[in-house]
Amino acid sequence: MISAFFSLTLTNLGLPYWAMVPGGLLFGAIMGLVVERAGVRLALEQKSEGWILLTIIIGLFFFSTAENIWGRDDRPFPTPISADPINILGVDVTRLEISVAVGVLGIMGLIELFKRRTLLGKAFEAVSADRDAAELMGISATRTVMLSYGLSGAVAALAGILVSPITTVGPTMASALILKAFSVAVVAGLDSGFGVVLVGMFLGALESLSSFYLGSGWREAPGLILLILALAVRPTGVFGKAIIRKV
Amino acid sequence: MKRILLLRGAELIVFAFLATIPLLVVNPYALGLLTLLAIYGILLIGLDVTVGYLGQINLGHVAFLGLGAYTAGLVVTKLGLGMAPALLASMVVGLLLGGLLALPALRLEGPQFALATLSFAALCTTALNELEGLTGGAQGLSLSRPPVFDHVLTPPLFYWLCMALLAVVWMLMRNLLASQWGRAFEALRDSPIATDAMGVGTYRHKVAAFALGSSLGGLAGGLYAFNFEYLQPQSFTYDLMIILLLGVVLGGRKSLWGAFVGASVIVLLPNLLSNRHLFQIFSGLGFAMALAAGLRGLVKKTTRPFQALAPVVAMGILVVGGLLVENTEDWRKAIFALMLFSVVVGLPEGLMGFLSIFLAKLFRVPHAPLPAPTDIETLLPPRTADGSPLLMLEDLKRHFGGVKAVDGLSLSIRSGSIHGLIGPNGSGKSTLVNVISGLYTPSSGRILLRGAVLPSGSLYRVSQSGVARTFQNLQLFAELTALENVMVALRGVYRSPLPLVLLGLARREERQAQADALCLLDRIGLKDQALTKAKDLTYGAQRFLEVARALARKPDLLILDEPAAGLAHPDVVQLIEIIRRVHRRGISILLIEHHMDVVSELCDLVTVLDGGKVIAEGTPDEVKRDPKVVEAYLGQPASPSEPSHGGVEPLPA
Repeated sequence: MISAFFSLTLTNLGLPYWAMVPGGLLFGAIMGLVVERAGVRLALEQKSEGWILLTIIIGLFFFSTAENIWGRDDRPFPTPISADPINILGVDVTRLEISVAVGVLGIMGLIELFKRRTLLGKAFEAVSADRDAAELMGISATRTVMLSYGLSGAVAALAGILVSPITTVGPTMASALILKAFSVAVVAGLDSGFGVVLVGMFLGALESLSSFYLGSGWREAPGLILLILALAVRPTGVFGKAIIRKV
Repeated sequence: MKRILLLRGAELIVFAFLATIPLLVVNPYALGLLTLLAIYGILLIGLDVTVGYLGQINLGHVAFLGLGAYTAGLVVTKLGLGMAPALLASMVVGLLLGGLLALPALRLEGPQFALATLSFAALCTTALNELEGLTGGAQGLSLSRPPVFDHVLTPPLFYWLCMALLAVVWMLMRNLLASQWGRAFEALRDSPIATDAMGVGTYRHKVAAFALGSSLGGLAGGLYAFNFEYLQPQSFTYDLMIILLLGVVLGGRKSLWGAFVGASVIVLLPNLLSNRHLFQIFSGLGFAMALAAGLRGLVKKTTRPFQALAPVVAMGILVVGGLLVENTEDWRKAIFALMLFSVVVGLPEGLMGFLSIFLAKLFRVPHAPLPAPTDIETLLPPRTADGSPLLMLEDLKRHFGGVKAVDGLSLSIRSGSIHGLIGPNGSGKSTLVNVISGLYTPSSGRILLRGAVLPSGSLYRVSQSGVARTFQNLQLFAELTALENVMVALRGVYRSPLPLVLLGLARREERQAQADALCLLDRIGLKDQALTKAKDLTYGAQRFLEVARALARKPDLLILDEPAAGLAHPDVVQLIEIIRRVHRRGISILLIEHHMDVVSELCDLVTVLDGGKVIAEGTPDEVKRDPKVVEAYLGQPASPSEPSHGGVEPLPA
């Protein structure tokens, strides 16, 4: 959200679209780093479980700042891709929507490749599996975690830039999306890239169906119920691996 | 006596003062704020049960406020009933829906719990908005305060009602949280596995805690409805939730006074924000406090630089922002965020956590005296051991995918014996203990205790059947004292039903539990450290405490999972003495151990595992000479020309 705003400001300053994208990404990465340092690592240093609270707090601060700098109203977001519908197999789709889908699949492919093919990606997985063991193998867990937050900030910024032309930019865009993003990730399983796409499509279809049959206000309700149930039945996600408790 | 006088005195003075206010002050605005203070007080006490005692971030509490408010509103407007049934209905709705939400949220921890409760809150807002026929949707719901006993509730009367309810809730919760229920909630936070293994039951306590907190949320909601007499779904959103969290964290978790202080802050915040001058004064004060605390932390080296600096920077932004920004109202969320941030980082215990230590020193509040320990003969009467089979394992298997951790194991443990279980790393010892104690479900095979099938796959039910265990990786309730650790696990002391506990009529049981726990602590030599928090004990003492806690289950079979791991020699000697004393009470023991000298000294019979199978069984001396055992440990066949020395050498510790 905040990166989308920042990018919007960049374009308003007269920068062309393609020059704005890297700027937005960089900003997102920096924001990710701020969250990591001021929230996650700080809580770790205190050995408290307060990091959830701290990330919520930092999110709130960003939200309020954006609200005051850019105003509370939703704004349109420019894009070089046209919004004219084209007809594919009898379904009207805009080029814009295709660009979002292609962009998202592209990012996911890149992340999967990164995780599986590069040494750094392996380091990420190592730290997430066992922090201490990774440290002993000469991987700096602190730097890896920093990097992952930077990366996730940049990816979030890209997602913002991609989706903003459709949703328009506003301070509430994030809170509507974050719950959906979490639902999809948790239902699918946090480490399953492929599952996320499937569940995302399923949830999207479910939302459209429920808004059609129950009324637009109920749009999100089935997704939320599904989320609570999925958490209860399979906390590791439909496509995630079961965890064995050890003592 | 002095303690009771001071603590109860402070409560009495505050409530008496609050009760007389309407007689002195006639300002309706101030009275409105005070009424709100009472309502938020009840609400925060409820929230503190999950956030403070269970240690989970609960983002759904605001939904229960809303549900309670709408329930009360609908009971009055649609059913035409009075105030008492409306408030009761609010509580019941909170209780039921809280219990319902707790069931799926049960297995969740940390972020997933936060997410589940957040989804629930979002779902409730949607429902309140969309069920227009019932709630009036976004239009809102108007109601009027129904008369009680034909008396119209004027603002002062309603204020007294709210305050009286707060006082009642306060007293009931004080009794509950000081009882085994409160201890179980905290135990749950520190180690769910040990809570189950000590026969306390995470399941019912987590549901109870959440349902209880939610029902208080519902009650507060009912009062909220009668206070404002107008309800809108938008009032109960994420924004308010953040403010409530601010209240609990700022006031201080796990404290009724903390909830009260937090409620005062919440009530006063809007006024603080609307008055620029006042805001600058308070932000300046906050900055000074953060600076002082940060410097003190740095000088004493109790905090890391960034940790000391962060709250100062946050408060600094607040001060500078206060000077620059024209309308502080617009920035309220950012201000909340900065304040919460400073408190979470700089004052993790909250205002009351900080103040209570200070006040306890100032007034020299003594700790409540402990009763004399129970006699061990009455607590654990010696049992006669007849040597009959106590625990039988029949062809037990546990596979993880392709790994056969326990692979067709049969074993018999005689009652009254100390049975040793040894084997090299990865031989399946820990898995076996976890299967017997119910953490893992066996893939196949049977476990019999005194001939009856032991429940499988449930720590809780195994514990109830009379098998207690300790943990190789310590699973103590870190934030509880040594005494409380043992008290949580005590079996057969707590008989009073919940209502009696709430009314504070279970004190005799509490004294009994203290006396029993002291007796067990005396057995392990920790009587003098009964009031030390488990996390502050030495490593050796923590290991012994694990044993005492398991003993509190008064078990037939005690499983000790590597009790000597990491202990220094003097501690090992003491441990051997402790195990001997336990054995003398007639309790059978299964001892998993690496230290061969401990095993040789204590065990009647030793079973050796390798690759998930039994490879040898016999007296310690027989086992040590067994070539298969030597091979398992040293990885080569022992040549007959080199007889073992009969000492500890062939088996590495």
